[in-house]
Amino acid sequence: MKKFIAVLFPLLALSLLLSPPVFSAETVKIGLMGPMTGPWASEGQEMKQVLDLLAEDINSAGGLNGKKVEVISEDDAGDPRQASLAATRLTTKNVVAVIGTYGSSITEATQNIYDESEIIQVANGSTAIRLTEKGLDYFFRTCPRDDEQGRVAAQTIKNLGHKKVAILHDNTSYAKGLASETQGLLVEMEGVEVVFFEAITPGERDYNAILTKVKATSPDAIFFTGYYPEAGLLLRQKTEMGWDVPFMGGDATNHPDLVKIAGNAAAKGFYFVSAPLPKDLDTPEARDFVEKFQKAYGHAPNSIYAVLAGDGFRVVTEAIKQTDSTDTKKVAEYLHKEMEGFPGLTGKISFNDKGDRVGEVYRVYQVNENGEFILQP
Amino acid sequence: MEQFFQQLTNGLAVGGIYALIALGYTMVYGVLKLINFAHGDLFTIGAYLGLTLLTSMALTDKLGPFFGILLLAVMVMILVGIVGILLDQVAYRPLRESPRLSAVVSALGASIFFQNTIMLIYGASFHVYPQNILPRMVVNVFGLHIPMIRILVLLASVVMMLALYTFIQKTTIGTAIRAAAEDQGAAKLMGIDVNGVIMIVFFIGPALGGAAGLMVGLYYGQVNFTMGWIYGLKAFTAAILGGIGNIPGAMVGGILLGVIEALGAAYISIAWKDAIAFLVLILILIVRPTGLLGERVAEKI
Repeated sequence: MKKFIAVLFPLLALSLLLSPPVFSAETVKIGLMGPMTGPWASEGQEMKQVLDLLAEDINSAGGLNGKKVEVISEDDAGDPRQASLAATRLTTKNVVAVIGTYGSSITEATQNIYDESEIIQVANGSTAIRLTEKGLDYFFRTCPRDDEQGRVAAQTIKNLGHKKVAILHDNTSYAKGLASETQGLLVEMEGVEVVFFEAITPGERDYNAILTKVKATSPDAIFFTGYYPEAGLLLRQKTEMGWDVPFMGGDATNHPDLVKIAGNAAAKGFYFVSAPLPKDLDTPEARDFVEKFQKAYGHAPNSIYAVLAGDGFRVVTEAIKQTDSTDTKKVAEYLHKEMEGFPGLTGKISFNDKGDRVGEVYRVYQVNENGEFILQP
Repeated sequence: MEQFFQQLTNGLAVGGIYALIALGYTMVYGVLKLINFAHGDLFTIGAYLGLTLLTSMALTDKLGPFFGILLLAVMVMILVGIVGILLDQVAYRPLRESPRLSAVVSALGASIFFQNTIMLIYGASFHVYPQNILPRMVVNVFGLHIPMIRILVLLASVVMMLALYTFIQKTTIGTAIRAAAEDQGAAKLMGIDVNGVIMIVFFIGPALGGAAGLMVGLYYGQVNFTMGWIYGLKAFTAAILGGIGNIPGAMVGGILLGVIEALGAAYISIAWKDAIAFLVLILILIVRPTGLLGERVAEKI
């Protein structure tokens, strides 16, 4: 043991000497935690592109309160275990706030880590209800909650005139939450019946057995609250069965790969509830941003969640500017109480006491025969 | 009743694929008493190679869907078979005389290596086979909707399994493989080239796994680098169910597992589908510890 310490100590000292100074009063550090690898890598990489672009914008305009903004990104790989490691690393890097992340169960694994370190977290794609029901002072999100999504979904199902609805989820905290929320609302509505409610196993290839079982209950419509890879397969296999029941998805099915997996013919007519796509955003801030993004990366942003991450970054920097402070207590206080109708990329932004975004965000989309997502009036 | 038969065909298609992969586990185990944990990833390699060859060579345009896919399948099987032989030479052969656990650890390492290599080459996102290579026909019999491709998948797996069975039972090489599986030492004394046999086993098993990967790609359309994990696990279960080391056992186990899953999902609960399949496995192992058709006493790995 003594020997071990004798070796360890000089090594530690050496590493301290060699590592660059951690404290530098010249920059405001904002963390980004996103899935840079793993199944949702495309989301995370675009989140980083958006934040880099916005930080550059601020820096070229003279910085934030005279300091440069620095984005420090960590990879959560779309995995709760990896995310808690990423979060621990970010807490040691002196960040004021962390933007991210995409999946609810991944965010949930990191909430307490940031809260204990008094670092502000602004999630961009985590819509599970309970994330903001814990009374955490430093947690915010720019995306809406599943109960709002559930409301819009239930309303849409009713408006389309469906009477018997089958609901499928995949047992992730997001999908299950949205499914039971929607079920609850549909049950209360008159004339709508939920005839089927069960979970599928994500990551499989063959959902024929499940579809056959759902078909036996003869629903008018299926509502699937899981993610796009499974939604694509379900659409494809449903069409192969020769069953043309209307199919609807939650906002996790909003991804161009959905159409690639299902094929244009099977994806045609698919409805989904989602925050608006970047191309459908109509505020001047958004148009300006999409143009800049296009110029920097050669294409418009694909994912609304990346844009919502951008909004997270913008509200944090705005709050730091207004309070002229990087004291997270003051910044959080400002976000909770004083920010009112801030012109975000995705519309006006205010937060309530829980850290939830106030206001309607969700829209309904339908896939057309060319596989494009068309905003429904 | 109609639903029962519909679910039966669903289960048979899935089971056929499980059975093809299970053959790779069982053949290697039969000869080497080694669980080749990298086998699921050889299956993934088959799916990705199929995609690459299909899109880069446009075989189906030149030869028509039937011969195009046939040639594609042969190419994929040969290539994945070669990867299998290389895997054995690099990861298992140097450990032939070591305790058996070392080879198991080496197999797990090889699995991680393959998975990450595929991710680095092809990227982490989903890849999709081109649509409409195969005619999308649906056969309607007795009120059942059966996509043509599902029948083809099942047919292809049955044909391959029967060919393998005949090969093992009727040919000289097949006899050598059976002899090496029975008793390696005695087989060597009888003048059988056991290393040659192992090489053949490491060609055939992965080749069948690769063919299963190609079929999954063609049938379901969507591939990603982690797909081998679930299929590998299920096929391994199927091999145990049928009696590991036993070739007809792997076929029966695979088909049975697929059918149990489909019927379990249909009549009990979708979410409990895997639990039901494993419960059946446990029950069968309690009654028959060597699996359904297994004769040799199972040994610890």
